Parts: sequence; C-alpha cells; structure tokens
Amino acid sequence: MSLVPAILLTLLGMSLGALLGRRLFGAAPDPGVRAQLEAAQAELKTQAASQAQVMHTTKLASLGQMVAGVAHEINTPLGFVKSNVEVVGDLMNEHEQAVRTLLQAVDLVASADASRADAARAALVRARAALAGGTGLEDARGLLSDSLEGIQTIANLVLNLKGFARVDRDGMDLVDLNDSVRSALTVAAHQLRDRVKVVTQFGDLPKVRCMPSQLNQVFLNLVTNAAQSIAERGTITVITRATPENVEVSIGDTGCGIPEEALPRIFDPFFTTKAVGEGTGLGLSIVHKIVKAHNGTIHVKTATGRGTTFTIALPVSSKTAAPAPLSGKVAA
Amino acid sequence: MNAQLAPDLGAPLRVLFIDDEARITRALKVLFRDYEVYTCNDPREAPRLARDHDVDVVVCDQRMPEMTGTECLAEIRQLAPRAMRLLLTGFSDLKAVLGSVNEGEVFRFVNKPWDNRELRELVATAGAIAREAPAMPIEPISAAEHEEARNAVGVLVIEDDPQVQQRLREILQPYYQVRFAASADRAMQILEQHETGVVISETEVEHGDLTGMLKTLKQYHPHIATVVCTERANAQTAIDLINDGQVYRMLIKPVRMGSCRLSVDAAIGRYWQLKKTPAAVRRFTVVRSANDGAVPVRVNESLLARIRQLPSRLVSIARFTTIF
Repeated sequence: MSLVPAILLTLLGMSLGALLGRRLFGAAPDPGVRAQLEAAQAELKTQAASQAQVMHTTKLASLGQMVAGVAHEINTPLGFVKSNVEVVGDLMNEHEQAVRTLLQAVDLVASADASRADAARAALVRARAALAGGTGLEDARGLLSDSLEGIQTIANLVLNLKGFARVDRDGMDLVDLNDSVRSALTVAAHQLRDRVKVVTQFGDLPKVRCMPSQLNQVFLNLVTNAAQSIAERGTITVITRATPENVEVSIGDTGCGIPEEALPRIFDPFFTTKAVGEGTGLGLSIVHKIVKAHNGTIHVKTATGRGTTFTIALPVSSKTAAPAPLSGKVAA
Repeated sequence: MNAQLAPDLGAPLRVLFIDDEARITRALKVLFRDYEVYTCNDPREAPRLARDHDVDVVVCDQRMPEMTGTECLAEIRQLAPRAMRLLLTGFSDLKAVLGSVNEGEVFRFVNKPWDNRELRELVATAGAIAREAPAMPIEPISAAEHEEARNAVGVLVIEDDPQVQQRLREILQPYYQVRFAASADRAMQILEQHETGVVISETEVEHGDLTGMLKTLKQYHPHIATVVCTERANAQTAIDLINDGQVYRMLIKPVRMGSCRLSVDAAIGRYWQLKKTPAAVRRFTVVRSANDGAVPVRVNESLLARIRQLPSRLVSIARFTTIF
C-alpha cells in the first residue's frame, strides 16, 4: 500500500521506455541509441528500486509502530490476568486450609471427652468464624471475572490486529469502514492513550467495496498525523456517516494546524514539515493515492493553532471501478 | 505464600497503588491483601491520598490520561516524602524513564506484566526502608551549607572524550573541585584519594563499559550521587541504572550548562544531606532484598576489591550492607 508512488514511477518509466523503444527500434535500430536507451532504462529501474526501498522501509516502520502499540496494549491486561490466576490459586489454598481446620474442629468436638469438650467447642467456634469472615472466595470471583474480561480484551486486540494487517486475505472486499477506523485506532492507541482523548461518532454505514488493508493504512496515517500535531494534550474526533452516494469519514484534531503556505503541498511525496528523521513525508501522499485509487475524495480544513480535519468520501455504488492492485513486487 | 509475607514491623505496611485501569488496582489489592492497601484510579487524587494515609510505598503506573506517573510521583515526593516510590509500566520510552529518575527520583522501575513474588519482595523491602530510614528533607540545603559542601567534597568526571571533558570543565570548574578520569582505573585512584560526593560518568568509554562499576560503586557506597551523562541512551540501560545503580540524575549529551549545573548542585546537596542524616542512605541502596544479597554485576575481582576498600566517609553507614 505504501508502494503507490514507486509503482506509478515504475509504470511511468516502463511505458515511456516502451513508447520510445517502439518508435526508435521501429525506425532505425541504431546500436548507439539502443545502448543509451538501455542505460536510461537501467537508471530508471535503479531509481524505482531505491524509491521502492523507501516505501518498503516506510511500511516496515508502520508495522513496527503497530507491533509496539499492540504489545503495550496487551501488557496491561496480561499483567493483571497473570497476577490474578496466581492469586486465585493462593486464595483457593487458603480457603482449603480454613475448611480443613473447621473439619478437624468438628471431628474434635465429636470425639472429645467431657474434660476437653469446652476447648474443642471453642476451637470449632474459632474455625467457623475464620471461615465465615474470610473474603477469599469473593475476592477470587472478582479476580476471575476481571481476568475473563482481560482475556476478552486481548482476544479483541488480536482480532483487530489480524483485521488491520489482513494477513488472511488481500484484495477487494465489502467493508464496514467503522471496523477499519476501529482497528486503526487500536493500532494507534499507544500514541494516544495518555495524552489524546478520542471521541468517536459512528453512523450506520453501508458496506463499501474497497481494499481494506489500504484503507486501514489511510486511517492509521491520518490518526498518527493528528496525534503528532497535538503537542501536549488534545482531542481527536472521528465521525463516520453515510450520505446518499458516499460514506464519509472525518478525522479532526485540536493540534497545531497546517500553515497556509504548506497547504498546497501536503499531498506531495516527500513533503514534510517535521524535523529530519521524524517524518518521511510519505504519509499523506499515500493517503491521497489510495483515496484517489478508490475513486474517493479527500478534503482538508485547517486553522493554524486550532486544528485540522481531514474528510474522506468514498462512493457506495457497487459500480465503482476496482482500484488497480497497488501492492507490487516488494510487498512484504 | 505466608512465608514471604510482610516483615515484622508492627502494623502492616501501608501501600498506595495508582493505575487508571481499575482491574490492575483490584488485582494488586488482593495480591497485597495482608497489607493496608489504598488504590486510586485518578492520579490527580494520589498525592493527597499518599499524604493523608501516610503510606510507606507508592506503586504508580506511567501512562495515564490525566497525568503521567512521573509527574504524579514528583508531586508525591513533595507531599509524602517518606513514601518509597516505584513505577510500574508496560511501555518504557526513554523520556518517561529519564523523567522518573530526574523528577520522580524513583526507587525502582517495574515492568508490566510483573512477577507477583518479585513485586511482593520489592514492596516489602521498600516498605521496610520507609519505616526504618528517615525521609530526606525536601528543602534544598542553604547557600552557606552548599558552599561548605563544595569546599569539602569533590566531583569526579569519568569521560574520555576531550571535547566533553573541556565542556564539563568550563561548566563545573568555577564552582566545584572537579577531577577527571578517562578510565575506571584512574577513577578508582581519585576515589581512593579524595572525598568525592558526586560521580559524573558516561556509560561507556574506550576502555570499556562503566555501568558495572557504577552499579558496584553504588552497592558499597550508596551515599555518592551518580550523574550519568551519555549519548548512548536507551530505555533499558536507563532502567537498569535505576534498578541496579540508583542513578541520581541522567543527562543526554550534548551537555547543557543549565541542566548540568542544576543536577550537580542537587547531587552535592544530596550528598551533604546524607552526611548529616546517614541513616537515610538506605533509601538509595541497591541491595534488593534479603534473599539475593547483592546485585549481580560483572566487574573484575580487583576492581571489586578496590571499590569495597574505598574509605567510607559516613561512619555510621560503614556496615550498612549487613543491615539486611
């Protein structure tokens, strides 16, 4: 998905080469021209390969980001589930011990002769009080119910991860974009959790024919950008709705906004306002290419210091032409 | 399980757990059911709770929506200075770790998912220290005392980059008795000959890794404040330097005048306060628990022997390692 510009470049290079080649070879297959042409083609290939390398690296970076994010999200439920299972075991032992003490006290009362009857009865009362006063079973029940929830959380995370990466299938599918947005938010969660509040308003959406793995990337890129535009604390608002022709997803932030002079260039490949080494300048260009490939539109509203909202509209109509397969040779 | 329960200190330890996830605090509450446990899911309420209940130990999550664990522990340090502070986190980015040293002055850094037995031992150790060792004064020492300290106590810089040496000389020479060493060997000579309150050190020089020496030094001479100043920063090294080396401050190169002066001033101040309240040094110990005795750190035998034999200037803590 992050290969779009590389692929386009390769296509451009190849069609140019083919065009030139036909004309030149058709007329006069001059060996000198031919050598030049081959050199030019080789040059284009090298360029395309290095571009593809950048794209591939970008894709790996977003994969790394996803893994780090999900690992963190899993560590919290894993922490308490693991602890709880151990503690429930301890609580069972303690309860077992209390029951055993009570049973021994009962036996003692049953078998005690008159001289020891009072002592035996006192021991029985003590054992009964200890068992009745204990909260072990109640605690264990609470811990087990928390653990079940925790395991469900982990299961959902894994499901989301699978849904995000689409390891089970690729290509076109009928998709509820709310699911795409949800999985992108999960993957981005570790960037948001402690400082950015996420508000979602999900409308009922008809399914859209699209390449879900690409759209997941679109939403992740937009959410990541939104998170990065917020210096300290802020809010990201995600709204989805259906219009008669389109499904719209808007992702708004309360971040720094985009300066006016940068606005015309934001979808250009390698354009970035971030410091060297922090942004590749590919995020929004990828978003733009993918949306275009799906016959969609993308709009941006921004105010410096107040925030930015990107709105993506994708046509619902099933007549939508299938987007060209974008992931090419280097796709992992 | 009962065998590992709280040491006999009279009343059960009072522990405060802070995590925005209620299921974490519920789990910890039952895990520490033999203690007096307070839990809190909103870190903004935590400093007040810590103060009002005079807790012995605070265990705090790092990433919470309202404020970070580092910020929370920094506030608790002011309001409840007696409490030992532990950070419990599932995600350790470098910024958070540095903050936990420089602002939170945490005793230990614990990763999620935690190990129940280790966490219980750690909290028990921290609690015992909180009960027995006096709290450090929150107020910095007076200007007059600071001057006295600067005259009496040296600062040792372990660094082999001449440019960084020069930079540190410019920043520190006007105020402190600064001595430089480019290797662990030279550093030991200086420590043997001069009373040294602060060690400023890289984590690595040409001659090798220094973290082992810093950790061992701390193990036997916990009153010396270490300021690590490095360009090879990563979260795990930093966490190890906290847990096994009780590093006092961590600075990332390039060295900045302001933060460097502030850190060294604070470090000298701490050394001086410890000299006056030697019993408080237990708060900075790296001996983890009764069971594992000493931190397993790889330094060669001769270096270990030299570190052990360093003159101990704080007489009452000379034998502190045997307290455990």
